[in-house]
Amino acid sequence: MLLAAINLLAAEGGESAAVNPVFPDSAGELVWGAIFFFLTWIVLRYVCLPPLLKAREDRQLQAQADYEAASAAEAATEQVRRDYAATISEARQQAARTVEQVRATADAERGRQVLAVEQEIAEQRQTALAEIDAARSAAIGGLTGDVAELAAAAASKVVQSPVEVSSVRPTVDEFMNRSGGQK
Amino acid sequence: MSAPVSTGVLSIFAAGGEGGGGLQFPPVDNLVKWPAWFFQGTPFEFNKITFIDFIAFIVPVALFFIVSRKPQAVPRGLQNLMESSLDFIDKQVIQPAIGPDGLRYMPMLVAMFFYIWIGNVFEIIPTAHMPANARIANPLILAIVTLVMFIGVGVKHHKLGYFKEVLFPPGVPKALYFLVTPIEVLSTFIIRPFSLAVRLFANMLAGHILLVTFSVLCITLWGFQILNVVNLVAFPMLVAFTGFEFMVAFLQAFIFSLLTAVYIGGALHPQH
Repeated sequence: MLLAAINLLAAEGGESAAVNPVFPDSAGELVWGAIFFFLTWIVLRYVCLPPLLKAREDRQLQAQADYEAASAAEAATEQVRRDYAATISEARQQAARTVEQVRATADAERGRQVLAVEQEIAEQRQTALAEIDAARSAAIGGLTGDVAELAAAAASKVVQSPVEVSSVRPTVDEFMNRSGGQK
Repeated sequence: MSAPVSTGVLSIFAAGGEGGGGLQFPPVDNLVKWPAWFFQGTPFEFNKITFIDFIAFIVPVALFFIVSRKPQAVPRGLQNLMESSLDFIDKQVIQPAIGPDGLRYMPMLVAMFFYIWIGNVFEIIPTAHMPANARIANPLILAIVTLVMFIGVGVKHHKLGYFKEVLFPPGVPKALYFLVTPIEVLSTFIIRPFSLAVRLFANMLAGHILLVTFSVLCITLWGFQILNVVNLVAFPMLVAFTGFEFMVAFLQAFIFSLLTAVYIGGALHPQH
């Protein structure tokens, strides 16, 4: 189709119909084309590109080295962060353990002191109860004598003859014991 | 109305515009034949095409030479531009087609890419309006270079086993070799370089004819008062095709370089 169009153009042009539209009619284009292309290739290969490619490679190596250094620094930073977090965590655990230990010690001490106080209170209560019992026994003893004398005197008046205190004493003791037992 | 345009367009303008003799296309000589400037009649005949070849040689060499004198660690300006082009060849041509082993072929592929591209770009450069690769010479040379290169790479890395791998592909029943081997010979050693050369040459010549056609149409119609209305469509199309051909110039250079890299990669690893 292309050749047909060219041939049409050639026919309409009406001159130089012998010109081959594809192949050059002299070797000049082939020769100079080859010379200039190989010159381009050779000059680029041996003169122009080596410094540029070396600069490019150096840049890539530098970038790679910088990247690796940055990665190493990032890893180190991450390690420091992990160490810090581990230290913080350990400190927190230690603090928790200390608090727990102190709390346990305090609880034990409080229990011990409470127990001691309770024991002391119990002892004091026992002592007080004993003193109360003694006082009551003494009071009852004195009262029994008085009641026995009073009862003997009263009985002497009633029977118009003297009644010995010792004869009414058992009855009074029994009465007093019953009365004391009713409390 | 006698502004300097390409030779063919100028002659048409004179014929169509003032004479009113109708639409005339330029003779084919104006498209494909260029008179010698120097060394006429010798094998070193120098004409417009070879001058474009010279520019396609001197421009990339000069640009790369300027930036290669003191390349900076952090590229700026022209160095940035030229290194970007190297990166482009590396990432878009070499790595996909050859792989990391292909960096040693970068100078050839860079030279090939720039030589083709700059030669192509002259299709749309005012006062030139002729792509060097619309002549068969350059595509033919580059295709032969590609052929020699990939055969050389194959023989260098696989010795004569390269031809065995190419001509007798493994996995094919031996009975079919009488069919497959001639096809492989044709496709690998004949059609590959032929298609490379013809693809580049035909695309650029077709683009050149397209632009010439629309240029001639616009200039010729300019002389016809009534038909000048057609220029409302033809001229924007000429502008659009010019932009399109700029893209084609780049694309053809890229395709040629990429296919060369693919063939070299295939020679390095023929089993793939």
